[in-house]
Order: sequence, then C-alpha cells, then structure tokens
Amino acid sequence: MKTTLQAGFMPLTDCAPLIMASVLGLDEKHGIKLALSREHSWSGMRDRLLNGSLDVAHVLYGLIYGVELGIGTRAVPMAVLMNLSRNGQAITLSRALGEAGVTDGAALAAQVRRSRRRFTFAHTFPTGNHAMFLYYWLAASGIDPLRDVRMATVPPGQMAASLAAGHIDGFCAGEPWGARAVLDGSGFTAATSQDIWPGHPGKALGATAAFADAHPQACRSLVAALLEAARWIDASPLHRDATAEVLASPAYVNAGRAAIAARLQGLYEDGLGRRWQDPDPLCFHAGGEANFPWLSDGMWFMTQHRRWGLLREDPDYHAVAARVNRVGLYREAAVLAGVAAPATLLRSSVLVDGRIWNGRDPAAYISSFANGAPRPVFGHGAPQ
Amino acid sequence: MKSPPSVPRNLRIVVVNTASGAGEQAAAAQARRNTALRIGLLESGYDIVASLPADIFLPERIAQIQPDMIIIDSESAARDVLEHIVIATRDEPRPIVLFTDDQDPSSMDAAIGAGVSAYIVAGLQAERVKPVLDVALARFRRERKLLDELSDTRRQLADRKLVERAKGVLMARSGLNEEEAYRKLRSMAMNRKLRLAEVAQRVLDVEDLL
Repeated sequence: MKTTLQAGFMPLTDCAPLIMASVLGLDEKHGIKLALSREHSWSGMRDRLLNGSLDVAHVLYGLIYGVELGIGTRAVPMAVLMNLSRNGQAITLSRALGEAGVTDGAALAAQVRRSRRRFTFAHTFPTGNHAMFLYYWLAASGIDPLRDVRMATVPPGQMAASLAAGHIDGFCAGEPWGARAVLDGSGFTAATSQDIWPGHPGKALGATAAFADAHPQACRSLVAALLEAARWIDASPLHRDATAEVLASPAYVNAGRAAIAARLQGLYEDGLGRRWQDPDPLCFHAGGEANFPWLSDGMWFMTQHRRWGLLREDPDYHAVAARVNRVGLYREAAVLAGVAAPATLLRSSVLVDGRIWNGRDPAAYISSFANGAPRPVFGHGAPQ
Repeated sequence: MKSPPSVPRNLRIVVVNTASGAGEQAAAAQARRNTALRIGLLESGYDIVASLPADIFLPERIAQIQPDMIIIDSESAARDVLEHIVIATRDEPRPIVLFTDDQDPSSMDAAIGAGVSAYIVAGLQAERVKPVLDVALARFRRERKLLDELSDTRRQLADRKLVERAKGVLMARSGLNEEEAYRKLRSMAMNRKLRLAEVAQRVLDVEDLL
C-alpha cells in the first residue's frame, strides 16, 4: 500500500483538517504519512494533481467539476473523496460602499443601476466556489454578474489591497481574507457564505480518478484520518483555538492569529459596528454530515456552471456526480473512523433567494432562474 | 544600402511579472527567473511587447495588446488571473507558456494536458529559450488544428445524419426515391441560399409539427 501521500493545500483557514491530521499524528495512526505542500495558485495545484506531483489536495469543489467536464482545460476524470468544511467564506465590500450606506444586496443593486461607472468584483477562480457563491448572491440581489458588473479573478492575498486601493468594489474569498479586510479597515462583511447557502459544501478532498482507483486503501485511510481531525477541531472551542494557533504559522496560513481565530470560533465583526456569534459558522464535521460527499453538492456546482455558460451543454448531472463523488470509499472510511454516514445521496437546502436545491431535477432548477434558459457562451458578448 | 523589407512578423509576447504576496524567498527566485527569461527572449530576437504586473488590470491589458503568446512563472499566484482570461477567450485561445526551474518533464505534460499550451523552460540559458518557444508554438498550433478538425468532423457527421433523416421523410411522404429526395433538398438549398443541413432541419421541424 502507498503510505506517503503528497497533499496540496492553499493557505486558507479551511485547510485545517489536513494540517491538524498531520500535526496530531492522525495520519500515522491510520498507517499513512501526509507530506503537506503549500500551493501558490489553484491553477498550479490543478496542474500538480494532474501530473502526479500531488496525490490529493484541499481544493475548490467547483474546480474539481470544472476539470472533470473540461472547462478551460482538457477534461480529466476526477474524484471527490470527502468534503472538508462547510460555511465560513464571505463577501466583503469596500469601506467606501459601506460609508455610502450600501450595506446589503438590494442597496448594492440600486447603486450599480444608478452609477455611471462599472463596478468590479473579484473571486478566486472562474469555476470555483467563491465565483459561484458571488454570482448567486449578486443575481439574487438583482444584479447580473456577467453583464451588469465586471468580474475579476484575483489571488486571495491581493484581495484586501485591491479593495483598499479602489480597484475592486468587493470580493468573495475564504478566510482569513474577509477578516483581514475588516481588521485593516479596507472593507466590511456584506454577507457570509452561510447567509447565501446555510451548510454549503466547501473545499473538497480532491484527487484524480486515476489516483483514487489505483490507491483505494491509502485514500480510505486518509479519509478516516481527516474525519478524525475534523471531529477533533469541532469538538471544543479549546481545540479550535489550538487549531488557529497552528494555522497562523508561516508554514501554513501565515496570517496573524487575530485574523484566523475569531471567525474560526464563529465570532464575527462586520466592520460596520456589528458583532455576533454566528449560529452556523465554519465547521468541519457536524457529526459527519459535513464530510459526506453528497451527490447533490457536486450537482449544484454543475448547475451553476451551466447557468453561467461555463458549460455549454447539459451533462448528465446525476451520473457525473455519481462517478466523481466516491461515496462507497467514504462510507468505508467512516466505519474506520467511527463516524455515522447518511443513508441517502441527496440532501435538500434552501438558499438565500428562497429556492430549494435537492438534486432531483437539475434541468428544472436551471430553468427556474431569470430568463428561463441558461445563458449563451460565457465571455461571448460580455465585456470581460 | 537598406536591406529589403522581408522581416517575418515577430511573435508578440507578453511576459507577466512576479506577483506580489509571495514569500520573500519565492519572490526573489521568481524575479531572478523573470529577468533571465526576458534577457533570453530579447537575445533570441523575440518581441516582448509588454512586461505586465500581475494585477487586476492584467486581463484588460492583455485584451488591448492581443499578444500571440503569454509567458508566466509557473509558481506565480497570478496564474489564476490568467485562468480567467483563458476561459473568457476559450474560443480564440493563445499559447500560454509557463517558466520554471523545475526540470521535471511530466510537469510539462500535465500543464499541456490542462489545456493551456505550456512548456517548461528549464535552465533559462538564452540559447535554450528560442527552441523552447518554437516547440511550444508548434505544439499549440498542432493541437488547435487537431481540435478544429475534430469539431469539423463532428459537425459534418451531424449534418449528414440530418440530411439522411430528411431524405427519409421526403421519401415516406412524397413517394420519392432517394435520388429525387436528395435533389429536392439540394435545389431548395441553392434557391434559398441555405446549407443542405439547414434545409434538412426545416424539413424535420415541419415533420415534427405534422
């Protein structure tokens, strides 16, 4: 059995299960060794997964499906072994907007309509989670993300600076970047990702299908180790605090503890004077519910890719999710870790616009959005 | 005496500079590679049209400049900014070349497999740059040609199926033989200045109604 696994991660708070599995020795407990590799870009991480430099990675759920279906890249069969986290991302708008009283989606839509200049928003990757949540939130507020505003992909480390400099009006990214922008006064939190979709999937534990097929035992052991790590992190505020301490290290997220710890505990400050303990913050386990590779989660990303024209044709949504999300392997790993696994493959959620997504009728779901039909070719005619 | 103007069009290249936000060591390494690369390109007679910062205006600048090729450090955080451009311009792609110290040939295969035509420049001695770029360009063009041929073939197959079905409909409804049915379709196409497949589609559409 392959024992050392090259595992890529991006310096974000939600890489925690991977880091803590290594730090706590949970990998060795399950007979494997994690060789952690800090990546510089999602594109680079994707390349390294495809060329075998990385075996597995902490990766945007949407990116996996983008590669599977060949969006902007050659299609390569991929695998989602488990989901690593839920919630805890954020949409941050500029301080200037906040001071002008534009503090929610509706006000933003009014401002975009009345303004003569073009607003710019940033996300982290064109097919990724943050892009899809941002587009969803904007559309729900009455703003067409591809026609009414300009979109940009910006490395997370540059988000706060771009906001402060006035190059962008807002961004959607993972923590600690939302907290950072609030701390340095460049922006305020307009919406958390759990406001948009409570309990949404976060980063996946991704791999190529070839790797998952060739090394089922190692993958199973890894998932078991990560389930234990996730359970450990969520077990108490003390554990979360210890996790923040570890993540702050230059080897991992390399950010001040202040930017990481508070939101990891669910404690939010929005930069406009509001402070609250969020009932549904970043979480890693939720008794196993958060880690299960729900087919409906994978399908959601595909419906959004189709909605925005990143996909030009309807795939067989259910069939693709069924082959990418390795439910069987997950269930075996859950047994090893003593974690309960749900019996079903689809789960139901209500999103910010009141729509229900339950994975049952993707075509109808896509049609239900404004104008009915999915839009034509992304980038064609839309000034990007 | 002036030499005759026979200069072939130079490849217009944009080099993307080091992204800020990288660790100090990584940034220094990137800057070193970047400088070596630009010297190598210039010495090989390439036309570096612009050396752009990896910032939010990169997509706009690329759209304005319309380079033939983009070169970026494989370790750059700005690769995701390029990804944005790749998707926005996927119907009119251009080769993107990654440069790195990484000697590993499988990195190159994977990067090419990722759809952006890319190549790894190992070493960066000036004389190595030109052949590398030539190969990158040749690969890119060959792959585009293959992809275009593939999509043409697919379209031709689909068109032929339409025509077959339309012939079948005409034969069934009007009692024509195959040759007559085909001639009817063809003559309508010529009279109306439509493609044969378009006429076929109309016949099938009407058939659906009846």
